[in-house]
Amino acid sequence: MELADRAVGLLLSLISISIFTYFTFWVIIVPFVDSDHFVHQYFLPLEYAIIIPVFAGVALLSLLSLFVGSVMLKSRKKNKKA
Amino acid sequence: MKHIFKIISLLAAISAFWVGLLQASIIPRTHTWLLPIYLVVSLGCYGLLMVGVGLMQFPTCPQEAVLLQQDIAEAKGFLKDKGVDVGSD
Repeated sequence: MELADRAVGLLLSLISISIFTYFTFWVIIVPFVDSDHFVHQYFLPLEYAIIIPVFAGVALLSLLSLFVGSVMLKSRKKNKKA
Repeated sequence: MKHIFKIISLLAAISAFWVGLLQASIIPRTHTWLLPIYLVVSLGCYGLLMVGVGLMQFPTCPQEAVLLQQDIAEAKGFLKDKGVDVGSD
């Protein structure tokens, strides 16, 4: 059982480190590189560096509020029944 | 209340620093505009990293688990003798 936990923990850490390095390269290093270097084909245009985090944040907030709302509705229904 | 004031003052200090960077133009402007989003994303990444590291280092204590199961069985038997309903078996 602890092997599964450690595998999930390792996966989470690797995902977070890769996201951090990719985003750091994208925002800080790539704008300083010349426009005809080959690196630019590995990175989307810089506007997407704003759109994707904002979109992810909005999606996270809406999912959280949906979850909280559904839990509140369920508890009210249970109270009315009892 | 004090904790909220601490957080608000920290946020105010960071935004003042950011506006100062915007005015002073030491760093190119596009970088300065992207700085808050970069900080938020890196904070989220740091939280995820801490969760992953904590998961990896969490001790499971298998002997304690066995002892705990024995304690639970003993307590259930004791309470059932005394007439308390503990049933979820």
